[in-house]
Formats: sequence, C-alpha cells, structure tokens
Amino acid sequence: MKTTMRTAIAAVAGLLLVGATACTDTTVEPKSTITGANVFNDAGAYKAFIARVYTGLAVSGQQGPAGQPDIQGIDEGFSQYLRLYWEAEELPTDEAVIGWGDVGLPEMNTQLWAASNSFVVAMYYRIYFQVGMANEFLRETTDDKLSARNVSSSLRAQIQQYRAEARFLRALSYWHAIDLFGSVPLVTENDPLGSTPPPQATRADIYNYVVSELQDIQNQLPDPGPSTYGRATGPAASMLLAKLYMNAGVYTGSPDWTNAMNAIQQVIGSGAYTLDPSYQHLFQADNNTSPEIIFAIPQDGLKTQTWGGVTFLVHAECGGNMSNADYGIDGCWWGIRLKQQAYNNYSAGDGRASYFYTTDQNVDVASISNWNDGIAAPKFTNKTSTGASGSHATFVDTDFPMFRLGDAYLMYAEAFLRGGGGTQAQALAYVNALRERAFGGTSGDITADQLTLPFILAERGRELLWEGHRRVDLIRYGEYTGGDYIWAWKGGVAAGKSTESFRDLYPLPASELVANPNLTQNPGY
Amino acid sequence: MGRRVQYLVGALLAVLWLTPLSAQQSGGTIIGRVTDGTTQQPLGGVTITTVGNRGALSEADGRYLIVGVPAGTQTVQATMIGYAEFTQTVTVVAGQTTTLNIEMTAQAVGLSELVVVTYGQQRAADITGSVKQITPTEFNTGRIIRPLDLIQSKVAGLQIVDNNEPGGGGAIRIRGATSVNASSQPLVVVDGMPVANLTDGRGALTYLNSNDIASVTVLKDASATAMYGANAANGVIIITTKSGRHAPQLEYSGSVSASVITRLPDMLSAAEFRQAVQQYAPQSVGQLGSANTDWFSHVDRTGYGQEHNLALSGAGETMNYRLSMGYLDQKGVIDGTDMQRLSLGLNYDQRFFDDHLDIKINENASHVVNHYTPGGVISNAAQMGPTQPVFDASNPTGYYEWPGNTLQSADNPVAILGLATDKGKTDKSVGNLQAEYDMPFMSSLKAHVNLGYDLTQAERQTFSPSDLHSQLKSGGGGNVYWRTPSLLNTLLETYLNYTAPLSVIPGNIDLTGGYSYGKSHGEYPYFSGSGLSTNLLNVYGVPGTATAQNQQSIEESKLISVFGRLNYNYADKYLLGLSVRRDGSSRFGPTNAWGTFPAVSLAWRISEESFLKDKTPLSDLKLRWSWGKTGNQDFANYQQYSTYLVGNTQAQAQFGDEFVTTIRPGASDPNIKWEATKSWDFGIDYGFANQRFNGSIDWYNKSTSDLIFTVPVAAGTNLSNYLTTNIGSMKNQGFEFSLDADLLKSGSGGLNWNASFTASHNKNELVSINPYAGPAQQILVGGVAGGVGTLIQVLQPGVPINSFFVYEHKRDSNGNPIYQDTNGDGTINEQDLYVDQNGDGIINVADRRPFHDPEPKWMLGATSNMDYGAWDLSFTLRSYLGNYVYNNVASNLGTYSEVTRASPYNLQASVLKTGFETPQYLSDYYVEKASFLRMDNITLGYSFTYQGRPVRAFGTIQSAFTLTGYSGVDPTAGLNGLDNNIYPRSRTFTGGLSVRF
Repeated sequence: MKTTMRTAIAAVAGLLLVGATACTDTTVEPKSTITGANVFNDAGAYKAFIARVYTGLAVSGQQGPAGQPDIQGIDEGFSQYLRLYWEAEELPTDEAVIGWGDVGLPEMNTQLWAASNSFVVAMYYRIYFQVGMANEFLRETTDDKLSARNVSSSLRAQIQQYRAEARFLRALSYWHAIDLFGSVPLVTENDPLGSTPPPQATRADIYNYVVSELQDIQNQLPDPGPSTYGRATGPAASMLLAKLYMNAGVYTGSPDWTNAMNAIQQVIGSGAYTLDPSYQHLFQADNNTSPEIIFAIPQDGLKTQTWGGVTFLVHAECGGNMSNADYGIDGCWWGIRLKQQAYNNYSAGDGRASYFYTTDQNVDVASISNWNDGIAAPKFTNKTSTGASGSHATFVDTDFPMFRLGDAYLMYAEAFLRGGGGTQAQALAYVNALRERAFGGTSGDITADQLTLPFILAERGRELLWEGHRRVDLIRYGEYTGGDYIWAWKGGVAAGKSTESFRDLYPLPASELVANPNLTQNPGY
Repeated sequence: MGRRVQYLVGALLAVLWLTPLSAQQSGGTIIGRVTDGTTQQPLGGVTITTVGNRGALSEADGRYLIVGVPAGTQTVQATMIGYAEFTQTVTVVAGQTTTLNIEMTAQAVGLSELVVVTYGQQRAADITGSVKQITPTEFNTGRIIRPLDLIQSKVAGLQIVDNNEPGGGGAIRIRGATSVNASSQPLVVVDGMPVANLTDGRGALTYLNSNDIASVTVLKDASATAMYGANAANGVIIITTKSGRHAPQLEYSGSVSASVITRLPDMLSAAEFRQAVQQYAPQSVGQLGSANTDWFSHVDRTGYGQEHNLALSGAGETMNYRLSMGYLDQKGVIDGTDMQRLSLGLNYDQRFFDDHLDIKINENASHVVNHYTPGGVISNAAQMGPTQPVFDASNPTGYYEWPGNTLQSADNPVAILGLATDKGKTDKSVGNLQAEYDMPFMSSLKAHVNLGYDLTQAERQTFSPSDLHSQLKSGGGGNVYWRTPSLLNTLLETYLNYTAPLSVIPGNIDLTGGYSYGKSHGEYPYFSGSGLSTNLLNVYGVPGTATAQNQQSIEESKLISVFGRLNYNYADKYLLGLSVRRDGSSRFGPTNAWGTFPAVSLAWRISEESFLKDKTPLSDLKLRWSWGKTGNQDFANYQQYSTYLVGNTQAQAQFGDEFVTTIRPGASDPNIKWEATKSWDFGIDYGFANQRFNGSIDWYNKSTSDLIFTVPVAAGTNLSNYLTTNIGSMKNQGFEFSLDADLLKSGSGGLNWNASFTASHNKNELVSINPYAGPAQQILVGGVAGGVGTLIQVLQPGVPINSFFVYEHKRDSNGNPIYQDTNGDGTINEQDLYVDQNGDGIINVADRRPFHDPEPKWMLGATSNMDYGAWDLSFTLRSYLGNYVYNNVASNLGTYSEVTRASPYNLQASVLKTGFETPQYLSDYYVEKASFLRMDNITLGYSFTYQGRPVRAFGTIQSAFTLTGYSGVDPTAGLNGLDNNIYPRSRTFTGGLSVRF
C-alpha cells in the first residue's frame, strides 16, 4: 500500500511538472483598456477621435480638469495649448506681465528665455501633439481602412468632413509652429508612426504646405452656424489663410498682401458674421452666442474643464482688492496685469478700457511680482451678458475667440494700407465700426488721414488686447525686438531695453535637439 | 501517545522504510539527548544524521533515536539553524544501542549554519554569492511595525528608508537604485511567496507580524538572486516565519509604548509673525488676531501604542506547528494617525512515510485598519498665522478661519482634523502549501511543489465636508473619495533537486531545475463625488453628488519561468555555482517575450587548504567572485499595446450644442522589455578564532542597461512627446564591509558582549538617458512645494540620479546667501543673486547645475549586545554620511512674500537670516548636508523565572538621539531627500515582557 501511495505521489508530482511546463503562453490582453485593434468596432469612435483633435486646444488631458495629460515634462495645468499660446504671444510684448515665480515663467515677461524653458518646450510639444493626433486620425480614416471596416456610406461622408477638419487643425498648429519656432519638421499622415526623427523643413516649405492644405479643404469644411459652433468652418479656413498671407513677409520673405485681402474678403463676404453690439459680450460666459466669433476654443464649466485656457485667464487676471465674485469665479490667482504701454494706449472714452481695475493699482510695473504694479484688466469673465455667473465657479464657460470679425476688419484696413487692394472707404468704415462700438458713438471715429499703419498697430493693441495676437503683430511691424520700441521689462530691466532680433523666434527645445539630431537650432540660441 | 509507543512506532516505520532500500538487514541503534551547551536546556527539532543514512529530528525533550545504523564507525552530524554543526564519530555494533549525547553550541554566524537561499537552503560555508541572513537575536528592538525595520543597519548595502508614520511604507534599496521608471524595490519573498505591493496606503509588509519572523535573508549579488530572473535586479529579501520545534508551549509577549515628536519645523512666533506682517504686508495687519497659537501643539500628541502576541507552538515526531495571533494598536504623533492590526500566523509541517514526504502549510493573514491625518494638517500647521485663535464661536463650524474664503489663505489645521476623514483598511492573506518528496526510486532526488496565493483587499476613503475651509475656498462643496483595490496573485512552482556525490567526478553536486507559473489579477475601482448633498454621512455612505466619477480598471499579468542551478563543491575548497532562468512575461512585447538571466559564481575557501588549515588563527577565508545578469520587469502592464483612452465627461468637445466624449490614442513601444542589470561581485569572507571574529568585504559593480525611460521622442513621430521605452543605462559601484565580534565570552552568568559593525559605500551614476543624444539631455524630476510644477532634481548623464539641480547662490563673507540689488537695476532678482555659470550675462535655466544628491555616500551601522547574568543591554547606532536634503519648508515659507498673500502665511525662521522677499526655490542654499548619527534603539532587559515560567522584561528607547547639522525636521527625509512637511519623527519609549508557559 505504501508503495502504491508513493507511486501515486510521484505520478502526481510528475504530472504537475509536465502539465505546468506545457503552459508557456505569456500573452495577457488588456481588459479594461481599449486597444487599436478594437476601437473602431464602435462607429462612434470617429466622432470621438476628431473631437479629441479639437479638445487638444481646449483641455490638457483625458480627464478634465487634470489627469491623463497629453504631454509630459511640465505641470499639466501649465501644459494646456491655449494657455501656452497666450503666454507665448502676450507676455513678451508690451501688453502683459505675469507675476508668478514658477520656474521659467519670469523669463517669458522679458524675452530672456533659454532653449530649455519649460513653457517654450511645452508649446512646441503641444503643437506636435496636435499634429500627431490629426495625422493619426487621417491614417485611421483612409478609404482602405474604412472599406476594410465596412463603414456605412453615410458615416463615410461624415468622416470626409472630419478629415477636412483634422487638416484644418493641423494647419492651425503648423501656422503656430512656423510663427513661433520658424523652421521645424513637417510630419504628415504619410509618415509612419514610430520614432524615426523627421528632417527639418524650412519655414517657407511649411508655409506653402499649410496654404495649399487650407485651399484644398476650404470647401469641404462644415458651414458656419450655431450647429457647427466650435468646429472649423469654411470662413475659419479663410481667416487662417488670411493670417498666413498677412505674415507671408515674415514667414517667406515675400509679402502677399493681395491674397491676404482676398482671403479677408472671403471671410467678411461669407456674411456669416456681424459685429457683436457689445464688445464685452465677446469675452463673457455666454459668448458662444456672439455673432462675431469665427473660430472659438470652447470652454465649459462642467463639460470642458481645464486649469489652462480661459479659466487661467479669468483667474489670473484677478487679484488684489478685486472681488472674485464680480467675475463669477471662486478666487483670484494674482497673476496678469497690463504693462503701462498697453494701458497708456487707450484714450479717454474708449469703452474697451472701461472694465480695467485701477483701485490701488499702479500704472507702472516697477516690480513684476507685485500684483499692485500694473493695471488689472479683467477682460475675460465668467459672468454672462445678463450678469449671471457661469455654470462652475472654478472652470469658466467663457470660450476663447481665436478668430473674430473685428480682427478681420482691422486686417482689411492693414492689407489695404499695405497695397493689397480693397478701398480706403471700406477700410475706414470697418475701423470706425469698431471705434463706434468702443466709444458708444462717433466720438472716437478717425479720418482717412488718420488711417495709417502705426494707427492700425495701436488700434489692434486696443481692440485685440490679450487675445493672443500681439507678438505676431509686433513682429510684422518690426517692433518686437530691437530698439525701435521699448516697453517695460523688455530685455529684463524695468525701463526696458533693446533685445536681439533672434528673439523674434523662440528656440527649438533643447530636449528636441537631443531627440531629433536632424534639427538645427535657431540662430542666437 | 506515550513516548515509548512513539519510539516503537518510529522504529517500526523506520525498519519498514529501510527494508526495501538497504541490504543491511540488521544494524545498530543510536540514542541520545540534545542540549544547548550554554543553557543546558533540551533542544528539539535538531536534525541528526549519520553519513549516508537518514537520521531523525530530536524531540522536544531533546531525545532522539536512529535505528538501522550500519555497524562500524559512523560519523554523526547534528545541525540546527543558529547552532554550530556538531560532528562526532561513534562505533556502532549490530544489534546494540549506542548512546551519544550532543551539546550544541549557539553560533549566530556559523559556517555550518543553514542559510535560506532561492529555492532551498545552503550551508553558509558553501555560499558563493553575497548573502546575509539575520536571525531574531540580531533584530532591532522596540516598536517595530514594518518587518524590515528589524534589520535596519544590520546588513551592509541595505537601505531601509525611514517613514515616520506608524507602519508607513518606505523604499528599500539594496546596493543603490537600479532603475528610474521601473521599481528599484527588491523582491520580497515570504515563505516562498513573493509579496504583492498593494495596501490602502501603508507599507506592503506591515501585514506581517514582526514577532513571527524567524529569519531575514538579504541576497545582494546577481549570483544569489539570478534564480529570480526578471524580478531579481534589485536584490531579493527572503523572510522565513517561525515554526514550532519544542514541546507544546504558549508564549506571550506584549508591550506598551509612548512616542513623542523629536523635531518640528522652525516657524516664526506670534510676535515675529506680527512684525513681519507689519513690515511687509501692512495692508493685512487688520486681519491679525491677538492670540499666541502654537499650531503644531494643537495637532500633535503623545502617540501611545500597545502590542500583544500569543504564539502556540510545538513539535511532534512527524509534525510541528506554530499558531500565532497578534494585536497591535499604534497611534501616531500627529492627531488622526493610527493603525490597528490583527494578525494571524500559521505554520504547519507534517511529514509522511518516514519523513519522505514533507508537507508544509504557511499562512499569514491580517486585518489592518488605518487612520491617516487628513491632507493639509501638517502644511497648514506650518502656514497658519500664530496670531490667530483656534476657535471662533461665530463660525458655524466653531473653528477660526481667515476671512473671505480666498484661495490665498491657509486653513485652520485643527478644523481639518475635526471635520475631515481619511481612513483605510487592508485585509491580506498570504498562504502556500509546499510539498517536498524524496523520490523512492532514486535517493538524493527530491521533488518540490509550491502552490501559493496572495490575496489583498484594500479600501481607502476620504471625506471633506462642504464646510471645510478648503472646500469653501474652492466652492466645490463637500467631496468623498473611495478606492477599493483588490489583488490576487497565484503561484505554482515545481522543481527537482538532486544532491549527491557523482561517481564520474570527484566532489558533490547540487542540481536544481524547475518551472514557475505566476498570475496576477488586480481590480482597481474608484469612486469620487463632489458637491455632496449632505455632510452627515461622512465616508460611510454616498449621498447625492453634483458630479461623480466612477472608474474600474483591471490589471492582469503573467510570469512564466524555467530555471536551473548547479552547485559544485570540491573538497569544501573549490565551489562553483551556475544558474540560469528564462522568464516569459506578459509585460514584454511580442518580439522580446522571453528573457534569459544567467549567473556564475566561484569561491575558493583558502582556509581549507592544507597550508592554512589549523595553522593560523584563521577559521575561514573565502574568496568569492560572481557575475550575473538579472532583470527588472516591475513596470506597468500593457505598455506594448497601442491603446485608446476614453476621456471623462469633464474633458469633452463642444460641437454646436452637443458635447462629445473623446478618445485619445496613446504612444506605445511594442518592443518593451525588462531592464537588464549585469553585475559582478568580488568578496572575501573571513573569520578568526573559530569564527569569534568574522565578517565579509565586498566590491561590486552593477550596470543596468535598457533602462526604461519616458523620453522625448522626435516631435511629430509618435502620439505624445514622450515615449516609454528601453533606452537608458545606469551604474552602481560600491564597497561593503562587515565585522561581527564576540568581544567577551564568559558563558552563562558572566559578561558576554557581541558587537557588529557594517559599512557600505555606493556610488550611483546615470550613464545615459538616450545613447544617441550625448550628455546634454536632462529630465527634471523632484516636484516640490512652491510655485506650480517646480522641479528641484535632475536626471542627467554623468551624475547620480535625483541630483539636486539648483542655482549657485552668491554668498557673503559669512557664507550667508546674499539678497541685494548687486547689478543696481532697481530690483532684486535672479540676475543679482545667482552665479552666471555659462557666462552669457543672463540667469536662466541654463545656469542651474547638479549639486549633490540624496543618496548617502556611506551608511554605517553598529550593534552591541551585552548580557551579564540576568541583564541584557543592546543598542543600534546608525550613521549616514554625504546625504543631502532639500529643506522645502524653508524654501517655500522662508520668504517675506508669503505674508503678502490675501491672508498672510506664517514664515519659516530661515527668513530672519536670509531676508528673502521673493521665493528662491532654486537656490542651493536649501540643499543641506544631512549626515547624521542616530541611536536607533537601546534596550535594557532582565530575565527571571516566575513560578517556574521564564520571563523577560525589557525597556527600549527608539530614536534615542540624533546628531545632525541638518536644520529641518528629519535628515532621513524620505528616499528623495525632499523635506516638505514630512511626518515628524518620533522618539518611542517601549516597555514590555515576554513569558513562556
């Protein structure tokens, strides 16, 4: 019996050994995660994916307000596209200072950034995150793939429109790329996904690519209207084209004012937009109802939350003795004020300065970190036009008007003055339409003689204050670097001083030069 | 059953067993009694063998019986862990009984001591790798909740990072960190089961009652660990729990303790604070009250603790058992922190067929209930104005808060304690069944099967009511957060072991080969709700919420392995070890599904050579050399899959009036694989005067390649700016020394003194992050308080990982940091204060440089155990040299700008010296040398008998003193040397007794 038992045990042990060794498959598929293999089994995935390309401008990750960030290497709230873009376009100019000491941020006020400045770095990666998302959308929606997945014809038609929108969003980011960084890699859906470093394209190459893309998709985009609010429409593509043509001299060395005028006229001529009777409404919690906005980055207190975007603007504009409740928010962040040059740009009676908060605020920015130095400008607010607060006290409902008709009017006037065509009467009418809205009557109207290029730059400063256009405008006018125009803290001293012209471009990130040996750093850095 | 009957049955069975195997039909019998040579107490559980024959285990009264011993001169060996091997020859006459009484000599570090190694045990003298086993006589004393604190300072090269919270988790490093983004924690194996790292928040090993631990073995070099393959790169720690080996006995041990804070942050007094506000924020003077509140005194306390353990153990002829129950209740020195643990330990060992089949069942289970000091209590105790009162009857909550609910004001920490809740619990059960069977058809061949599981269910709940100041400030209403993770790991291991001399070659071989299959299934659901409809339910219910998030994720993995090992021993002089393991892991991409991890080791016991043996005081001299390749697969699952992440409903896109939930494809590397560490070790084991003085010296070098980094990829080529991939490399080199000395040996009643000393030096260097990118690359890490996203440390090739990355602050003639407008531009900023390292005329990030790092350059430990008669006195000293800590409390609050907030924050006292008016987070002034000497514990004990029962009473002081130049709260401020409102260290006074029945 003992022998039987022992034999049985030996047999069991042997079986265990043999049985166990037979199992050598190490594969464990994810269960609670969606993979590329099954995601498009859901027909709704295409819409969800294109929506993600849009939210690349509006949020910072897959969890609002923070969580599952899109890009790494910087605080997630700091990494939000619009926040970075706004800081890159406004802080180094005559319009704004931000008082915080977060590492890398003080240099943004003074043009003294290094190639590893985390805000510069994050802006670059944000742009390419957008490019990467758009490219991947295009790769996943080729005819071949859609056929292989038996996508229905009605959905295919819809997807064609989404593809045009993805290309618009990619064009928008490539515009930002060449504007901020100059010559950068041009990566499209035809490049494989992977890690092979792409070559550096010239600024002009990308300019030409973006222009041709926009011309190609203009008619494939959705029509403007309330149902397509937040999406890229045909006139939005025209507006983006106009932005490119307006700065063609900067990007390619050859100005293209005629095409700029044509594109502006397409925007205005679309008839889809009118000036909002209330300037303030453009920046209020219900600005999605404004008839003036051509392309917005929508924010929502409950559904589109971010620590960047307009939430950042509304909070950071507030501080000191200001009451946060007046702006529909739960607290102030004591951040952004006007440089004195921007404040002094306004004349008495200009309603566009009526909301400035001056109590206990000094006009001159003697100290960047002192909130009370510099006039506060709570332009964006989480109050609606009827005075109600937004849906959430931390996360605002206020959308960011990236392109609006008022901008197009001033672009018309400038393109006219620079010889792009159009008429002086029309240019004057457009400018005075804005002036009349600002002054609440004709008291601020200008004459044909006053319609000059310097006036347009100043007027753009007044009309489009803190809307993310200033750096582009100053560079186009040649006044951003150098000594022609000195403003507070330019070059790192309170009185301001001349800066070197290489700072017209931001440096390519130091980490990117490491990751992509094909790149040559911008001169001066 | 009477003993005579037992012996009879035993003899019968032995005869039965031997019958088919042995041609020897008749033989002699050896009987005797085993005692401890020092105490003369009987010893049970001692293995007595005659060469070439199976022996027996001694009974609880020390008696043993071996039958069927061939006639002639026989060598009898007796072995037991903790005792020197006993060897004596006896003459056996067929049919007669020979008596041999055996006296065992207690020996902590004996050459014949059995040391637990991977998949088995080895004689200490035969070990070719760098291995250190620590047994209870050497354990640290006092209130020890984290089991590995038992061996703090006892093993050269082992760093157990302090955590001052009771049972708090903490990092463990063996010979430095080998990884940045995977784990650097060693594999911890308890009774053959690797322990999973999941709890509600405290340390993963706190489930295990320190009182149940019989030995802890630290395997340091690759030859010792390589049998664990892809989990071995960080070293392995094997814990064995106690088993019964005596007559049935019941042992009680218990203790009570009181803990007090050793040091708190140095904040301004009410008068100093008032003066600072008057000078720098006159607009806020009106807010100041007239109180004189020491906020820390309102949130700290004397933390009392008690612990009771009962263990029932015993041994029979064919079985032994130990059953223990423990209860621990420990309060922290900050209000709101405590831990209660109910633990159960069971070891049962049953032998069948005359000990040919040995089945062991191990089970350790515990129920741990934790309370945590809610978030913000410590930081707000530092920040809250000392001029403000604690209570305010006009506030609905009864607590004072700064007016205005602005985001720029501190919260009353006493109110947080009173209103908020943070609690958790962890239920854990780890068990296995191990069977060992001697093959009947081939002597010396054993089959092992190990079936084990590790089940953890944890829960963590936090609650912040809507009237909590932080909630009023954010306007989000009350919130509640629940997390209920669970994890089940299962393991099947089978291996064969063959031990015998071979006829074809001289010497002995020990051959092991096996297969292991491990599976892990984890579920991580969580719920969070904000805008609670009522505060009344606390964490206990989920009322209506304005917004809620629910998530569930499932994490599964598999690890399949085959392994083999050959140990060869020639004449006890020349030793060779070869091992190889092949691991297949679900975490590896398809192209790298399997990894191979070989190791080789050689040892030469010079002391056994005839020219040395018995000719010098040397009792042991062994040269060891080993090389091996090990892996690290302790990184996230599913890295190789391209995944789409669904956005939540707060990150939607607006299309017209519609909000669309999004999906995002993620960047992935389909070829992800283990991090590989190649290491060599050269060691010397030495002993003099029959091992009275003994120790080891080791030099090692570990090179880790294929380091997983989340590195920037060329922009535009992938779906995020960073990709997790195998790319970097790292190096650790070091030296270890240990000495154990029986300085005085007077035997029982006289003065005995044992002292030991360990020293280790490790030098870490990150060799490269991206080999194609040169040395310029940096990754900033080390988030600190102050500013948003402020990172104070750097990963940079050529310097140790987590080196501080700071500006060089210009100093005045007294060495104090300057704070003045040196360039005369009317403002004091970076341009004035910091050294322009690259000389480009501006101070920006390019002027920061790596400056020291948190890792101790030297770790020293000294232990002393003395006894005289009934008295015993022991202490453990620990010293770290060359470790640096960033004093974040000083950098964050040591600036006058903190009083200019809407409601002023209290300031850290360094501001009185520096005069900083704006924060200088990146100044090297805050990187402080944190070398220290600490008396970790000192214990005085007295042993006596009471009504015939042996009793020992003791008193212990832990953290008796710390000598350091560091100005912050604790120089052992975590692994990464960031001291920001860390839980303060406590000095603990413990008194207790143990008694055996």
